[in-house]
Amino acid sequence: MSETIRISIDGKVVDATPGNSILHTRLEGDTPLTANIGCMGQGVCGSCRCLVRKAGERSAETRLACETTVEDGMQVSFIDYYLPNHVHHYRPHDLRDGWQALPQLQQTFPELAHCRHCSGCDRACPRHIPVQQGMALAASGQLEAAAALFDACIMCNLCTLACPENIRPNHVGLYLRRAQAIQNLRPGDLLRRLEQQARGELAINTRSDTPRSEA
Amino acid sequence: MNSAIPYAQALTNLTAHAQPPLRPAELSRSALLAQYHPDSDANASTLLQIGPSRGQACHPQLAALLQSNALIDGFDLAGAEQRSTDVLVIGGGGAGAAAALTAARSGAQVMLASKLRLGDSNTVMAEGGIQAALAASDSPQQHFDDAMRGGHQCANPQLLAQMASDAPGVIRWLIELGMHFDLEDPLSDGGKLRYKQAGGCSQRRILCYRDYTGLEMMRVLRETVELDPAISLLNRCPVVELLSHEDGSCAGAVLYDLEYQRFMVVSARQTILATGGCGRLHLQGFPTSNHYGATADGLVLAYRLGAGLRDMDAFQYHPTGVAWPQRLRGGLISEAARSGGALLVNGLGERFIEELAPRDVVSAAILRECAAGRGIERNGQLGVFLDTRALGPELAQRLPALQHLADKCGIDPSREPMLIYPTLHYQNGGVVIDGNGQTEVPGLLCAGEITGGIHGRNRLMGNALLDILAFGRRAGRQAARLAQAARHKSSLPPLRGGIEHVYRWQRQLALAGLDASVQAPLLYPGQARLALHRPTGTRAQEK
Ligand SMILES: Cc1cc2nc3c(=O)[nH]c(=O)nc-3n(C[C@H](O)[C@H](O)[C@H](O)COP(=O)(O)OP(=O)(O)OC[C@H]3O[C@@H](n4cnc5c(N)ncnc54)[C@H](O)[C@@H]3O)c2cc1C
Ligand code: SF4
Ligand code: SF4
Ligand code: FES
Repeated sequence: MSETIRISIDGKVVDATPGNSILHTRLEGDTPLTANIGCMGQGVCGSCRCLVRKAGERSAETRLACETTVEDGMQVSFIDYYLPNHVHHYRPHDLRDGWQALPQLQQTFPELAHCRHCSGCDRACPRHIPVQQGMALAASGQLEAAAALFDACIMCNLCTLACPENIRPNHVGLYLRRAQAIQNLRPGDLLRRLEQQARGELAINTRSDTPRSEA
Repeated sequence: MNSAIPYAQALTNLTAHAQPPLRPAELSRSALLAQYHPDSDANASTLLQIGPSRGQACHPQLAALLQSNALIDGFDLAGAEQRSTDVLVIGGGGAGAAAALTAARSGAQVMLASKLRLGDSNTVMAEGGIQAALAASDSPQQHFDDAMRGGHQCANPQLLAQMASDAPGVIRWLIELGMHFDLEDPLSDGGKLRYKQAGGCSQRRILCYRDYTGLEMMRVLRETVELDPAISLLNRCPVVELLSHEDGSCAGAVLYDLEYQRFMVVSARQTILATGGCGRLHLQGFPTSNHYGATADGLVLAYRLGAGLRDMDAFQYHPTGVAWPQRLRGGLISEAARSGGALLVNGLGERFIEELAPRDVVSAAILRECAAGRGIERNGQLGVFLDTRALGPELAQRLPALQHLADKCGIDPSREPMLIYPTLHYQNGGVVIDGNGQTEVPGLLCAGEITGGIHGRNRLMGNALLDILAFGRRAGRQAARLAQAARHKSSLPPLRGGIEHVYRWQRQLALAGLDASVQAPLLYPGQARLALHRPTGTRAQEK
């Protein structure tokens, strides 16, 4: 087999096969993983977030362990997931009235006004979303443009962790995206189908004989 | 490994033709399935010896877990933390979230326990989309007929009809929670939804959000659950056993709280299992597309408590899993690649099957090529080519998730083929339920991939996301209703149950001469097993 390299994961030095991801290297260890793992490589669940410092570098970067390839001398520490206790609750129902969009956003996320443009969130984002710009757009009331930036967000919460003002940027983004769908999306085909069903039409005959063809 | 054609040689063979010729079919589709589908393998089925589905066929690896000993015994409950709730939902995927939200909405006090973090699941990984018959030319009836045929006429017609009829209501519910769907034209008719074609369907009826429908769905569901004051969320609390009353009904569950390393006994009026599938068992040695937590835990526990199962020998192997590089092995390449024109090519540079034939047929055909020595070997990995070159330079834009995956493989899909091999994708069968998600055990409901009967022996693309929400909501509503009725009878907290059913089960294991040293549920799939921290004298001081 090929040469092995060594990396340190949460303070423990382990052998790694070049080409493997940090996550798969950690999986080969002798303790079972019970957290910071989910989709295992697809990069969509956001659970495998970690801090990575490459050999010889001073600063560490936040990464997804399942999408980061090991390099000799890397130092990795995984970041636990926790539920912050300063959340502002809202219900989807509350978002229905688009005329209240601006005051409601300010009420739900009062910290938004305190952004100090430190770019911490931008640096943290493994998806390279311009998070800070999104917060600036939201604060200035350009909600649609702000929402659009969070289209590919995987809710890893790294920007939330990075933010010194507790703005929870990804949750602001998701809030805005949800409000948009809740307020605007009324597909005609769906309305018509629901109405047909409400009238009692379109019941299914479970005995209908479908041909037993193979194709 | 079977003999195979080396990668470099296969590449030369591929480029020798402008259009790869189609190899004449030697076998009928049914013969192909019978000889090469992994389910048909002689060692892929055994008969269950004990339990409610005794005598039924089941995959041996799963049977070993189903007919195993519990992880805990009575002593473990002694020092455990005690909690109680109206409805306990177990599993943090789409089915669990839908059940919890609906039960809470119906007035119940809800607890949701998940092994990983809420949302780390198969649901978040879904790419393709969700079926709903909305077009004027389409109907729930046609949706039903397609799925019935796709499932080889084995589905429970009542369940399937409920799923197809619920579909429009499910889409409305998702929009009300704030989920987006791809639109053909946002400005006409209130937002004109885009319909995509799925294999085996008479109509275009897949709704999607880009090629990350599951991510869009799960992030909205998770946020709603986390912000719902009627739901207490327990992340990293896998269920290790169910609890029973003397009459055999379900009384809640025993969880293991990983953070504090201790057991937690949750007494519940109603319990909903939504723990998903079993891809991480790597049945028949196959790689899998599933998330880390797909280890059949709920199936094992429901069966031990007396819930019947069905179709436990029918699994879906998706034709296009990544075969090379090894570290991404099993990762899914969506069917969208083949609907977009990607070809399947063997080591001789020949096509060997219609790319959009049913999934089980395509997978069997790939396995036959590999068995016949026409597979391709690259650095020890065996597979066939998925030739994406025809998709052209627009691929990156049309299929961003595929491009992202190809980037990680270090492949330029507009110029090179990808090496693929079938991957274990979906559990077709599962726990038997009625139209409200109730199992044969009173007090126990199930929803999602853990259940069986809705899809028969083969599921069509887009019907899983629909099924988990349709039945997640039904189970949530029913559990809330039953819990409320029980509360009317007695306002005292739900009675504490025990693990009498485990002792009964152990006697059955002994009588049947089965190995009682095997313990399940597995909880985590890796080599290393989690050691559950036992209550000791020091335990009382912990708090
Ligand atoms: C890569 C991929 C792509 C897919 N694409 C599509 C698609 O396009 N369309 C479609 O319709 N279907 C698709 N599917 C299938 C579909 O996503 C799943 O069948 C469906 O999401 C299952 O939902 P669920 O809620 O039942 O299970 P899951 O979403 O898997 O959730 C199960 C949850 O239970 C938790 N759990 C497991 N064990 C325990 C335990 N012991 N204690 C507590 N919690 C536990 C898990 O961690 C997880 O959170 C796809 C599947 C995969 C893997
Ligand atoms: S925006 Fe925030 S939560 Fe979303 S992917 Fe980036 S860092 Fe993660
Ligand atoms: S980290 Fe917070 S304060 Fe800093 S730029 Fe981002 S949102 Fe603003
Ligand atoms: S494991 Fe899901 S993003 Fe890495």
